[in-house]
Amino acid sequence: MKQTQSQQRPKRYGMAIDLDKCTGCGSCMVACFAENNVSFKQDETNKLLSITWLRVYKITNGKPFPDTEVCYVPRPCQHCAGQHEGHSPCVSVCPATATDYSLYTGIVSQIYTRCFGCRYCMAACPYHARYFNWWDPIWPEGMERSLSPNVSPRMRGVVEKCSFCFHRYQLARDKAYLEGKRPIREEEYQTACTQACPSGAIVFGDLNDPAHEVYRIVQPDPDNHYKARNPRAFRLLERLGTNPKVYYLSSREWVRRAGDNYLENEAPGTIGAPRGAH
Amino acid sequence: MSSNDDPKTNGADSDAHLPSPSATTHTIPHILLFFILGMAASMILGWLIFPQLLYSQKNQPIDFNHRLHMELVDQGCQSCHFFREDGTFSGSPKLAQCISCHDQRLGLSENEKIFFEEYVAKDREVPWLVYARQPDCVFFSHAAHVEGARMDCVTCHGNTGTSESLRPYEENRLTGYSRDIWGRKISGLKVNSWDRMKMSDCAKCHAQYADIHDSSEQTRRDACFVCHK
Amino acid sequence: MKLSRRCFLSFVIGGAAGTALSPLPWKLTDDIAIWSQNWPWTPVPPDGAYSYTPSTCTLCPGHCAIQVRKVDNRAVKIEGRGEKGPAGGICPLGLSGLQLLYGPTRIQAPLQRVGDRGAGHWRTLTWAQAIDAVVTKLAEIRAKGTPQALAAIAPTDQGTVAQLLQRLLTAYGSPNFLRMPSADDSAEAALRLTTGTDAYTVADLDKTDFILSFGCALMDGYGAPVQTIRAVTRMRERKGTLVQIEPRLSNTAAKADTWLAAQPGSEADLALAMAHVIIGQGRFDARFAMDRIDGFDGFARMVRDKYAPRNVAQTTGIDAETITRTALAFADARRPVALHGRGKGEMPGSLKEALAVQILNALVGNIDQPGGMQIHPAANGYIQWPAVASDAVASAGMGAGRLDEAGGSRFPHVRHLMHRFIERIDQDPDAVQALLVAEANPCHNLPDSDKVKAALGKIPFVVSFSSFMDETAMQSDLILPSHLYLERYEDVPVTRGGAKPTIRLCRPVVAPLYKTQHPGDTILRIAKALPAPVAAAFPWRDYETCLRDTLAHRWSAMDSKGFWIEKPVAAAPVAAAAAVETTNHNGPEEGVPAAADAPAAPAAATAQARRLALLNDDLSAVLMADNATLSDEAGHPLTLVPFDSIRTASGYAGDPPFMVKIVEDTVLKEQDGCVEINPTTAAQAGLREGQGALLSTPVGQARVRIHLSEGIMPGLLALPRGMGHTAYDAYLSGKGVNINQLIGSVQDPASGLDAVWGIRAKLTKA
Repeated sequence: MKQTQSQQRPKRYGMAIDLDKCTGCGSCMVACFAENNVSFKQDETNKLLSITWLRVYKITNGKPFPDTEVCYVPRPCQHCAGQHEGHSPCVSVCPATATDYSLYTGIVSQIYTRCFGCRYCMAACPYHARYFNWWDPIWPEGMERSLSPNVSPRMRGVVEKCSFCFHRYQLARDKAYLEGKRPIREEEYQTACTQACPSGAIVFGDLNDPAHEVYRIVQPDPDNHYKARNPRAFRLLERLGTNPKVYYLSSREWVRRAGDNYLENEAPGTIGAPRGAH
Repeated sequence: MSSNDDPKTNGADSDAHLPSPSATTHTIPHILLFFILGMAASMILGWLIFPQLLYSQKNQPIDFNHRLHMELVDQGCQSCHFFREDGTFSGSPKLAQCISCHDQRLGLSENEKIFFEEYVAKDREVPWLVYARQPDCVFFSHAAHVEGARMDCVTCHGNTGTSESLRPYEENRLTGYSRDIWGRKISGLKVNSWDRMKMSDCAKCHAQYADIHDSSEQTRRDACFVCHK
Repeated sequence: MKLSRRCFLSFVIGGAAGTALSPLPWKLTDDIAIWSQNWPWTPVPPDGAYSYTPSTCTLCPGHCAIQVRKVDNRAVKIEGRGEKGPAGGICPLGLSGLQLLYGPTRIQAPLQRVGDRGAGHWRTLTWAQAIDAVVTKLAEIRAKGTPQALAAIAPTDQGTVAQLLQRLLTAYGSPNFLRMPSADDSAEAALRLTTGTDAYTVADLDKTDFILSFGCALMDGYGAPVQTIRAVTRMRERKGTLVQIEPRLSNTAAKADTWLAAQPGSEADLALAMAHVIIGQGRFDARFAMDRIDGFDGFARMVRDKYAPRNVAQTTGIDAETITRTALAFADARRPVALHGRGKGEMPGSLKEALAVQILNALVGNIDQPGGMQIHPAANGYIQWPAVASDAVASAGMGAGRLDEAGGSRFPHVRHLMHRFIERIDQDPDAVQALLVAEANPCHNLPDSDKVKAALGKIPFVVSFSSFMDETAMQSDLILPSHLYLERYEDVPVTRGGAKPTIRLCRPVVAPLYKTQHPGDTILRIAKALPAPVAAAFPWRDYETCLRDTLAHRWSAMDSKGFWIEKPVAAAPVAAAAAVETTNHNGPEEGVPAAADAPAAPAAATAQARRLALLNDDLSAVLMADNATLSDEAGHPLTLVPFDSIRTASGYAGDPPFMVKIVEDTVLKEQDGCVEINPTTAAQAGLREGQGALLSTPVGQARVRIHLSEGIMPGLLALPRGMGHTAYDAYLSGKGVNINQLIGSVQDPASGLDAVWGIRAKLTKA
C-alpha cells in the first residue's frame, strides 16, 4: 500500500557540533542571517529580543585566572523528536498548527503566516530557540535587494526559528526529481551554518543513514531514544526527554556537565534514556 | 399607500389623534417586500458589485497568443516554460529567451510592434502579470508535480496553452493576490480542477493520496514544510 | 409614503440574509485574514534564475576565495569557496559583504564638501568635475615646485591599484606614499635585517605540528582568517600542539593546549629566553645553522649572557621551568613554527619581537621547510612596468626624502612609518598640501585617532577614494567613490594564507550600482590629465587594460580559475629587488602552461637570499635595545590593551549590521562599550558587573561599562578594536568605544615602528 515516501526509510536530519573545534567566531550565526533573511535592528544588544535562529552561547568553567576555560556552544533549533516521534515540546502545544513535525525528515517546521503569535511554543521550548517578532522587520533602504527568495521574510507578531535550512532540502529535492526521482545525496542538503563554519565544527546529515558522517560521529542508538553511543557526545538538557537531533561533542567533562545542568554529585553520562523510557 | 389613508382622512380633529399602532400595521406582503428588497440589494452588492470593487483590472503588457506559439514549438509548454538545470522552474520567459526567435520583428501585428519597440529595442524585461502567482509563503515545486507526480500543465493552469489572447489580470485590492487563487467565480465554487488554487485545493489533492503523504505529526497529511517556506 | 421602523427592520433583515447568502462576508473574512498575514510593507524578494559567481573577498588582507549566489542580477548570499566542493568556510565579515554592497552608507556619486570639515554637508559632482578639481589642485602644487607636498595613504602596497597610486606619486615627484601599518612592517624589516632581501614570510600552517603563537589571534582573524582557523583546527586534530602567549583568555588561548599568560610587552624577552634554552641544551637544528646561518656564535653568546629563563621570569611573569619546558617542546616538535603579530596583525609591534620570533624559527631550521616559515620575494614581482621617466620637478621632489624618514639614514630598516608621518603634519602644517586616501580609514584605525583627525584637518586638500562614508571620508574635501570589491576586477596577491605565493582575481559580481568608479581608473584619469611627464608614465587606456597587460600570460588562467601561483623563487637583495623577474609556475596541479622563456633567478641572489644572519652589527643594535615600554604615568595603575575579535571588523570596512548583531552583550551593551577586567582588580576599585565607569588614559577618556572576566590578567583592561565609529549609519555609529582614541603611538627605539600594544589607564566610578 504505502508507496514512494513511506516506502523509503524516513530521514532523521540532525547535527553534530564539535565544541572542541568551535572557536566562537560567529560565522554560523551570520551565515544563518544571510541565508534566512533574518532581520536586524539598530540595537541588538538585548539578546532576549535579538532574533538569532542559531545563537552561540559562551560558557566558562568559573575558575579564576589563569585556570579559566571557556567554551562556545552554538544552539540552533534542536528539532526535538520527543518521547514518541513528533512529540516535540513546541509542536504539541501549538493551537494553530503553525508548527509541525515531519515524520519523514524529523524537521520541526514553522509557518509564519499560520502563526498568530500566542507564543505557547516559546514557553514550551527549553532551549530558547524560538523568537517572537515584536516589531516589523525593517531593512535599510536598498538592502532588501540582498534578500533571498527561498525564505519568506517574517512579519510582526509571529514566531520564527531555525528550519535546518529546509528550503535547501526543497531545492535539492527539485533537482533530484528532475534527475529521475533519485535520492538526495548527503552533500546536496547541508545547512548554511555547516558550510560557513571555518573550523568544520558542524556536521549535518541523516542520523538514520549509516553512510552519513553525522551518523558515524554520533552513533545514535534507535532503541534508546537515539542517545549517542559516542562517549564524547551529549545533547542539551537530555534529562528532559526532548530527544533532540542536535548533538554536541566535547572532550572536557565540565562542558558535558554544563550541557545537562548536572548536579554537583552526579556523574555525567549517567543520564541516558529520557524519563519514562525505562 | 392605502394603509396610511384612514387616520389622516377621517375627521377634522384627526390631528389630535395619534395613529394607533394597530392602525399602521403593515400587511405581511408589505414587510416581505422590504425583506426581499433588502435581500436583493445585498445580493446584488455581494454577488455583482463587491467583486467589481474587490478586484482591480490590469491588462497584460502584450496580448500574447499562446495557440500561435504552441503551433511553432515542438516541446509544448516546456519549450518556453522550462525546468532549469538546478531543478527550479523558469516560469514566465525572460526577454533573452524570446529574442532567440524575435531577434528581429516578426510580422506586422500591433502586439509584435509593442513587443519589439518597447522591450526588444530597449532591452527591457516584459513585466508579465502572472495569473497563478502564489503568495511568498508558498514553495510550489513544479518539479515535484510535473516530474514527480506526472501531472500535466492543464490540471492547474487550465487551457491557457490554447488561448489566443490574454485575459485581463485581476488583483485583489486587499490581499494583492491574483484572482485566480480564489477562482474566477466569486462563489468560490469549483467545476474544473484549475478553477481555484487555495491551500485547501492543494491539501485536497495531497490528502487524497494519504498513503503517500502522511508525514505531518499534526495532521497526518503532508507536513507543512512540504509546500511552505 | 413613510418608511416605518418595521419596514426598515425588514429591509435590514433581508439585507443581512442576502449578505449571508452572498459571497461577500466569507470572501472578505478570508481576504482580511490573508491581508493581516501579508502586510504590504513586508518585502517579497523576487525569484529568478540562480547562479554562482566566483571571486575574491578583499575586505581584509586574508583575500579568501568566495562565491556569490545570485538570483537574476541580485546578489543574495556570499559563501566561502573551499578547496573541495563549492562551499567552504567563511568569516562573518565576508558573509556580510552584501550589506556593504547594498547598504545605505555607500557613497553614490563624487561629492565635494560644502560646509565645515566633518559637518557632513556635500554637493554632488560629475566625475569630470571631480577629476578636474583634483587635477587643478595637483597641477597647482606641482607648478610651485613642491611635488613632495602630495602624499597618499593606501591600505597596502601590493597589487596594481596600490602600485598605480604609488606610481602616480613617483611620476608626480613625491616619495610620500604610505601604507597603513601592520605586522608586515616589522616582519619585513626583520627579513631585511636577517636576509638582506625584500621579502615576506608566511607560515605553512597546513603541515605544521607545533604552533608557538606570540599573541596572534589565530582564531580571531589572523592571516587569512578562515584558512588559519581551519589549519589550526586540523593541526589539533592531528594531535599537534598550540601554545598561545597572551595575557588574556582570547578565543585562541581558549583553544590552545598551553596558554602562557605572559606580561604584555615582554614577548621578545620570552622568545629570546626560549632561544637561550634551545641553544643551551643543543636542541637547535645544527645542520641548518651550519648551512644557512651567519653570526650564530655571536648570537648564542648574547642570549646566553642576557636571556637566561630565570632572568626574564620576572618581566614575563612566566617561571623559568615553564619557559624551558615550552622551548624544548617547540624545538623537539617535528615541524614547529613560531608566529609573530599581535591580534590580527594590524599593528607593527617592536622589531625586536619580530626578529626574536624569526630567530626561533631559524633555530629549529623550519625556514622554507614543510610546515615551517616560507620566505617569498616581495609579492609585487609580477608587476613589471617600465621605469618612470622623471623630469626635474619630480627628481627634486623624490630627492627631498620621505616625511616619515622611513628608509632613510635614521630608520633604514623600515619602509613606512605612519605615526611619524602624522607627527610631521602636526608639527609642520605646510609639509603636506594634498593627501589622497585610497580605501583606508586612518581617522578611525590609527592610534590616537583624534590626533590623526587633527593632522588631516591641517592638510588643505584631502581626497578620499572610499566607497563608504567612513570617518576619513567625513574629514575629506572631495570624495571620489570607488566601486566596491563586488563590482570590480582587481589582482590581489595572497601573502597571509597558503604557503605558496598566490595571486587571486577579484572580479565583478554585479554591475556597479551607483556612479562610482574603479579606483584604478580614478588614478589613471587623474594622471592622464596632469602635465606630460606624469601622464606619460601611464600608457594604459583604462584600468582593465592595465590589469590584463600586467598579468600578461597569467590573465586567462586567473580569469578561468580565479588564481595563479607564482613559481617560488628566492628573494632578491634589497637593492636589486626590481631586477628580478618572477617566473611562470608550471606545477601539474595547477595545469598552467609553462612559459618556455621564463628566466631563472640570478644564482648569486639566490645564494645570498638563502642565508640568514642571526647577529651582525645592525641586529645586535636591535636585539640589545630595550623593549618599547609604556610611559609610566602617575595615577594610572592599570594597563589597557586592545584585543581583536573576528566579530568586529577593524580594517577599512566597518561592521555591517549582521556583524554588529553578533557582538556579544559583554562587549557592547546598548551604546556602551564594555571593558574587560579581572574580578579581583574590579573588586579593588569597587566596581561591579555592568556598572558604568570612566576609563581614562594619558591620551583620552571614555565612558564604559564594566565586564568582569576571570580570563584576563589582573591589572589589565581590555577593549576590542573596531568599535566606536562616529561615521557610517545608525547601525554602527556611536556604538562602543574606539580604543584608538585612548591609546597613542609608542616609537620602537630600534626601528622607528609604532610598537604600541597598550597604555596605562585608570578606571573610576561614573
